Amino acid sequence: MADMNRERHRTRETAFYLFTQQSLPACKPVLTPGWVVEIVDRYDTECVPEAFRIDKISYIQDDSIPKNCSRFMKVHKYMKAPIYIYYQLDNYYQNHRRYVKSRSDKQLLHGQKYHDTSSCQPVELNSGQPIVPCGLIAWSLFNDSFTFIRERAELKVNRKNIAWKSDRDHKFGKNVHPFNFQNGTLIGGGKLNPKIPLSDQEDLIVWMRTSALPSFRKLYGRIEEDLDADDVIVVNLMNNYNTYSFGGKKKLVLSTSSWLGGKNDFLGHACVIIGSSSLILAIVFTLLHLKYRRPHGDTSYLPWNRKSLSG
Amino acid sequence: MCLLGAMGSGIFIDRKYFYLGLRQNVEDQFNPSKRFLVIILTMLTLLTLYSTIIPISLYVSIETIKFIQSSQFINKDLNMYHAETNTPASARTSNLNEELGQVEYIFSDKTGTLTRNLMEFFKCSIGGEIYGIGMTEIEKGVTERKGIKVQEVQTSNDSVQEKGFNFYDGRLLRGAWRNEPNHDACKEFFRCLAICHTVLPEGEESPAKIKYQAASPDEAALVLAAKNFGFFFYRRTPSMIYVRESHAERMGKTQDVSYEILNVLEFNSTRKRQSVVCRCPDGRLVLYCKGADTVIYERLGSGNDDLNKATRDHLEQFGSAGLRTLCLAYRDLAPDLYESWNEKFIKAKSSLRDREKKLDEVAELIEKELILIGATAIEDKLQEGVPSCIQTLSRAGIKIWVLTGDKMETAINIAYACNLLNNEMKQFIISSETDAIREVEERGDQTEIACFIKEDVKKQLKQSLDEASQYFCAPSGPKLGLVIDGKCLTYALDSSLRIMLLTLGLNCASVVCCRVSPLQKAQVTSLVKKGAHKITLSIGDGANDVSMIQAAHIGIGISGLEGMQAVMASDFAIAQFRFLEDLLLVHGRWSYIRLCKVVMYFFYKNLAFTLTQFWFTFNTGFSGQRFYDDWFQSLYNVIFTALPVIIVGLFDKDISPPLSKKYPELYKEGIRNKFFKWRVVAIWAFFSIYQSLVFFYFISAFSSTSQDRSGKMFGLWDVSTMAFTCVVVTINLRLLMMCNSITRWHCISVGGSILVWFVFIFLYSGITTPLDRNENMYWVIYILMSTPSFYVTLLLVPVAALLVDFLYLCVQRWFFPYDYQIIQEMHKDDIHCTGPQGVLGSKQQLIPDEERSNEISQLPREVSKHSGFAFDSPGYESFFASQSGKYVTPNAWDVARRASIRHKATPK
Repeated sequence: MADMNRERHRTRETAFYLFTQQSLPACKPVLTPGWVVEIVDRYDTECVPEAFRIDKISYIQDDSIPKNCSRFMKVHKYMKAPIYIYYQLDNYYQNHRRYVKSRSDKQLLHGQKYHDTSSCQPVELNSGQPIVPCGLIAWSLFNDSFTFIRERAELKVNRKNIAWKSDRDHKFGKNVHPFNFQNGTLIGGGKLNPKIPLSDQEDLIVWMRTSALPSFRKLYGRIEEDLDADDVIVVNLMNNYNTYSFGGKKKLVLSTSSWLGGKNDFLGHACVIIGSSSLILAIVFTLLHLKYRRPHGDTSYLPWNRKSLSG
Repeated sequence: MCLLGAMGSGIFIDRKYFYLGLRQNVEDQFNPSKRFLVIILTMLTLLTLYSTIIPISLYVSIETIKFIQSSQFINKDLNMYHAETNTPASARTSNLNEELGQVEYIFSDKTGTLTRNLMEFFKCSIGGEIYGIGMTEIEKGVTERKGIKVQEVQTSNDSVQEKGFNFYDGRLLRGAWRNEPNHDACKEFFRCLAICHTVLPEGEESPAKIKYQAASPDEAALVLAAKNFGFFFYRRTPSMIYVRESHAERMGKTQDVSYEILNVLEFNSTRKRQSVVCRCPDGRLVLYCKGADTVIYERLGSGNDDLNKATRDHLEQFGSAGLRTLCLAYRDLAPDLYESWNEKFIKAKSSLRDREKKLDEVAELIEKELILIGATAIEDKLQEGVPSCIQTLSRAGIKIWVLTGDKMETAINIAYACNLLNNEMKQFIISSETDAIREVEERGDQTEIACFIKEDVKKQLKQSLDEASQYFCAPSGPKLGLVIDGKCLTYALDSSLRIMLLTLGLNCASVVCCRVSPLQKAQVTSLVKKGAHKITLSIGDGANDVSMIQAAHIGIGISGLEGMQAVMASDFAIAQFRFLEDLLLVHGRWSYIRLCKVVMYFFYKNLAFTLTQFWFTFNTGFSGQRFYDDWFQSLYNVIFTALPVIIVGLFDKDISPPLSKKYPELYKEGIRNKFFKWRVVAIWAFFSIYQSLVFFYFISAFSSTSQDRSGKMFGLWDVSTMAFTCVVVTINLRLLMMCNSITRWHCISVGGSILVWFVFIFLYSGITTPLDRNENMYWVIYILMSTPSFYVTLLLVPVAALLVDFLYLCVQRWFFPYDYQIIQEMHKDDIHCTGPQGVLGSKQQLIPDEERSNEISQLPREVSKHSGFAFDSPGYESFFASQSGKYVTPNAWDVARRASIRHKATPK
């Protein structure tokens, strides 16, 4: 009994203590500014050595030339982790009809067990053997790679979980391994490690969710460290992917994200413009209403009245 | 569009896009070395891709709407149900509903359609005194216009109720005429009625059961009248007429009197009179004569000018009231005079050549120095509500042509009775009954007759046209009316004169064609149909109207009384002419407005939808890649946007039926086809272009960056699903914006359509079947729904898309309101004061307004100022009240919309 009393006393005391000492548990509404910081770096021209600037296509198609290239990126504003790494391609028609349909979802899920891959034309078979994953989309997999160094220390890039979960779980088979991939005479893009099942090849999964517009971004990975203002990041990249033949741009984008996603000026502008135009309209109509009020049901507007009054 | 896209594809395709695999095994459509073929094939691809712009479901939807409109609304309208004959209106075709809203010319038969073919003795004038206190509909209209309240004549229960006798005046009935100062004239009057006729009695010889067989219903009505006045004609032998006279000598005394008929001078169209010479039981020789006022007045003896003048005034009064008049006169004959005349008569009667002519000449000898007794006025009983209906229709800008086989006098008379003609109108009468023509006809040479009449008709037409043309321009000039008879019409329909006839006819407010054959009815109808390029409507009841009913755009048969031929040939069948008002002003007008809306909306929604696809084509290297999933595209018209527009086609209601009948001028919007002009189409096209741009560019701009905290990007199908969602929501909301009335069905269907879309996409992207090869859409909606920006977009895009529409609607309503919108505003409070009081209140409010315009127009009987008839049928008020419980009326919506102008800024 006494114990219980003491117990109760103590809890009350504790509560009182917390109160007097101003240390009550509380949620702290800190209004974090919703800034989304974005750094864009176009590197397709800069990463071609001076000597090859005239004929970039021969440069990119020549395997013997080393493709590595270094870029410097200056962080002008504090960037809070996670920082998303995107590559952005312009003038790249991933939504071209021939391109979009050149894939086999069944094969991606079931692998070689699924034979009818006619939809993958023209990248269906190579020397009589089926290609897994087949189709133009997979064949033209983007294969530039990026590493980031800050003050001589490499920044860790997390390349997991960059594809939508539904794609990983339901569209790409867990037991499907790349087979006979990029073995043809023409190499379209990146190669895949045959040991890793497709459901873990997230680069491929991201790439195969074709974009809606000819200018698009795709997620490459995440830097999970904060970047401070005035940090200089060295990007070592392998400039493997051929956008030179069709004049496409390649850009590297570092961006933070808010609940509304990445930095999108248009969304903001649209909101502001629509909101303000509604407001202006409201004011204009109110003024009109007050000043030049058309009486409700003004019969003089009726044509037969107009006629009889004039005649 | 396709061509543009195809050209683009031809230019675009190039081997440089290595990722398209264009080096080998390239199908023709993308083969860079066969650019021309690429263009052709892409063209075909795009044709199928953009096929959604052609709304195939429009046809189905419109048919559905029309079918329900006709089978449910027209057929079941209680306002068009004729209880006495248990006949509802019946739409026998469902594809003319909208044309009912655009009718400009009505061709009407007379007998059975406008009139009941029932003659009723209505009034009389005896000895310079008018008897009979009934009022014709015309008179009621006139007095009502003058603001005098019409007092319903209290017909006491003991008054005589008989078909053909609609007369009440206590001064004459039941022998009371004996107390009148001019009772001798009355006696002569009644005797004349009882004797001077060619009627045969039939059946039992008692007043209640006897039936009269007469050549014309007028005569029967007159004899019937005599019976009711106490001069009961009950038997005829070749030389005798037996009349049972009550109260003739003194009150209460009944005696059978027999009159010996000596001669009968029969009626024909040139004589326009009929006489009987009889010998009374007391030996007096009397000639009783009845006939048209013109011929009788020529033959009156001198003296009695006061009486003649008074009677003439009465005749004019009767005539303008639409009554058929006859003058009665008598002459006492001296026996020797009669004997000498009778010899001549017998000679003429027995002559072999030109007997008719000779008889006429002989009749002239004795039918003179007549003494006028009085005049009768017979009402050619109109169908119920015909004058007011015609008046309403003509206010609605509809021109009515009466085509009848009757004689000219009768036709003109009915035209007066129906308010088609009145004395303020400038009338052009083109008749073949002129002396000149008659003279030529007597010579008997057919070719000469034809030539002469043709020349004469041409002359008359030209003269009328010259005269009429000076009124064409002046808006305040008198209305024009044209009367033409069948014989003239034969020549006027000749190709050389047709244009003249048409020009004259189209400029007249009303046209009466008399003595026309069924074929001519059809000819006149098709003349106007082809010549005026306006919607024409024919209405008739008998077999002779079938050709006319078939010739017009819309044929209407009067069902119920005469045979079924007219109904079988017609598109719509109604029981009464007056239901035309409901059929045209209410159903026709609504159908027209609704169908215009439906067609426009279909055009808009498909254009807006397809254009987003079009803009997308520009961004896919013109490859013809579809923006939307196949299922989206094919279900868009069928499910996601189908039902609401049908609901609008069925339930949209700008103003209530009493109002559309009260303001028939609103109908003119339909005649002018105001809601289906290129301007309207262009406005809708503009909005669909604008909205499609908003859809495509807003959404593509939004999707250029990642959409949520995970930093992942949307793919093609995510973006297209987002766009499609916005399209479905916006298009459905736009529908609500254009509704005049929003019932619960509107809300259910619009909400339901949007809901169905979400249900569909949840299922569609959630389920994969082995049959489904394409997994593009898999899980898409769940990804979308997991990102907050999807919701922001869903709010922002429809608002941005509809903002301009909203602006347009406001400006349009504010500065360029349609007529119906003003009416809506005038009556927006009707809902608050429910029931009849509200309606009546607004009516009284209008009266000073009307009077003012009456004064201004300086025409005391200007037809278009007439109002107040819209509420004469009982039951509208209760109908209105029950409606207000069921539906949110247009007015409430209007208020809400206006109120929202001020609140518009808040949601954004």
